[in-house]
Amino acid sequence: MKNLIKKLVESYGPSGDEEQIREIIKAEIKDEVDNIETDALGNLIALKEGKKDKKVMLAAHMDEIGLIANHIDEDGFIRFDRVGGISPYMLLGARVLFNGETPGVIDKEGQLDDIKKLNYDKLYIDIGATNKEEAEEKVTLGDTASYYREFQDLGTRVTAKSLDDRIGCVTLIETLKEIDTPEYDTYFVFTTQEEVGTRGSKVAAYNIEPDLGLAVDVTLTGDMPEAKRMSVSLGEGPAIKVKDRSVLADPKVKNLLIDLAKENELPYQLEVLKYGGTDAGSMQLTKDGVLAGAVSIPCRYVHSPSEMVDIDDVENSVKLLAALLDNEISFL
Amino acid sequence: MNDNVEILKQLSETNGVSGHEKNITTQVEDILKEYTDEIKYDNLGNLIACKKGSEQDGPKVMFAAHMDEIGLMISDIEDEGFLRFTSVGGVDQRTLVGQEVTVLGQEELQGIIGAKPPHVQSANERRKAYKMDDMYIDLGLEAEEVKEKVRIGDVVTVKREFEELKNNRVTGKALDDRAGILVMLTALQELKNIDHKADLYTVATVQEEVGVRGATTSTYGIVPDIGIAIDVCHGTMPGVSSEDAAELGGGSAIGFGPHVHPKMFSKLKDIAEKNEIKYQVEPSHTPRGTDAFAIQVTRAGIPTALISIPLRYMHTSVETISMKDIKRSGKLLARFIRELNDEFVEGLQCF
Repeated sequence: MKNLIKKLVESYGPSGDEEQIREIIKAEIKDEVDNIETDALGNLIALKEGKKDKKVMLAAHMDEIGLIANHIDEDGFIRFDRVGGISPYMLLGARVLFNGETPGVIDKEGQLDDIKKLNYDKLYIDIGATNKEEAEEKVTLGDTASYYREFQDLGTRVTAKSLDDRIGCVTLIETLKEIDTPEYDTYFVFTTQEEVGTRGSKVAAYNIEPDLGLAVDVTLTGDMPEAKRMSVSLGEGPAIKVKDRSVLADPKVKNLLIDLAKENELPYQLEVLKYGGTDAGSMQLTKDGVLAGAVSIPCRYVHSPSEMVDIDDVENSVKLLAALLDNEISFL
Repeated sequence: MNDNVEILKQLSETNGVSGHEKNITTQVEDILKEYTDEIKYDNLGNLIACKKGSEQDGPKVMFAAHMDEIGLMISDIEDEGFLRFTSVGGVDQRTLVGQEVTVLGQEELQGIIGAKPPHVQSANERRKAYKMDDMYIDLGLEAEEVKEKVRIGDVVTVKREFEELKNNRVTGKALDDRAGILVMLTALQELKNIDHKADLYTVATVQEEVGVRGATTSTYGIVPDIGIAIDVCHGTMPGVSSEDAAELGGGSAIGFGPHVHPKMFSKLKDIAEKNEIKYQVEPSHTPRGTDAFAIQVTRAGIPTALISIPLRYMHTSVETISMKDIKRSGKLLARFIRELNDEFVEGLQCF
């Protein structure tokens, strides 16, 4: 599984620019599914036909947070804005990659003496160009960049950029390889543009019309030194979502996941996330409403270049989802 | 108490935090079924009660009042058994210390919200209002028992008995928007033996307080020709003038603003005048504040109106309203349904 994680996290795909990561996922799964297609927003939708004709949609977003060039000055320095939620503090000294191929480094303006005043206007990217013309050979206004960071295997835990939510993509891929024929028609959807407002899943769900929609994404943890209070910890099992800013998980869906975890003797945690949203929110409000919930993989340092997850949590999430797809669901 | 006050008391005292509306749903179904022909639910749990009109393929009108209420949710259980919590919807955290609460765990548990007393606070701490992060719920139980009976994600409501005040006023929790449910009931009572052409869908929506979510899906499913949201608005009180609020007991507040169709506004105002129903105009400009917004932008767009009950102390457990405004609003809406014809509905398509 670690090889697959490495492959996905080292791929390029800020929101709206998901072509490279989509092709990699597509190659990985196309022989394992009954149908695979891409919609107008770039969502990759893979279907595994089930025994019954109800529809389950699993959504993991393949886009990652990034930056977008909005000005190049005469000396070739690139100014930028964010794509999704990146704190400017994360970017001091960071390396980034434009278009999946051009590296750059970030620093702040020298006149900035108060670090509290750090914002996007005070930062620039240096791609090593000696002037504007040279910079423009490699970067055009509107080009996006991602963090530039290698995957690291730390043993039980791994660290990398974009585990949010490539680890969800890995979970979906491992789940679809795990199960033969699911109980219901199951759509494994690798969504786009989640980081800018759950846009991909919104249109994918509109088209699929699922009877049950589950997001598979990361969630924050509260187990670091002096962390903000949060009851989720790394390595304690998949987190079954109760609430975030985008969704109140349907109690039936939440309880089903809890029951499945208990029956299969899988560790689990319950997630009440005070900030942030997921694809579950957009799926729930599709058309006249969809039963929705989420399985979250605990992740430290979310939206930094060094996110961290525990492999046991990923494996247990795969087992939980496989159990879900293998069984009849009483309320469908 | 007269019957409708008694019903509002029950509605106010029943719990139904956004996303967890099971108990309040049972109550609402109970009171609406007598006056409607069919009740159904959608996937989010919206209660859709339909009263059929006399005309085949007559206009479809949707009333929406939300039955969910703001509340709290357990976010962490400390080793000693104290419960940490977050809010569901916009709870005013300054009003929470010292409240009695009900935790809806494996069973209903009574508790209180506590925080560090001023005596042991530093001078600096004392100057600031308590934040939710400083507070906890104490159930009075041993830690082991707490962990058996409470789970992360369990919801909590403030415990508050509904009271009648003088001058037809009442006070309680969750009158936002159980008052709206009572308006729908009053309209249905008025329409009981009255012939009307339109099919009337009275919808008790869910998850309004977390972003008008229930109205979003129920409107999509019903596809009404007209949607009317019934909610509460701020009432005047010391420090809140009539520029920002409507008068308690001053009549049904007819909303006017970007999410209200101008012809719907005029029509409701005309009906109020013709029938001598006391009303006031409530300019309303903030989007996403009520179900009217969600209804308006559904599918290809729905002509929408907003009727509000003036309410003081919004999002506290002492919300206060006048029963008179509920009665007037119910009557106004009933007259609207009675008069509604195809011609008016067609006219809404042209500005």
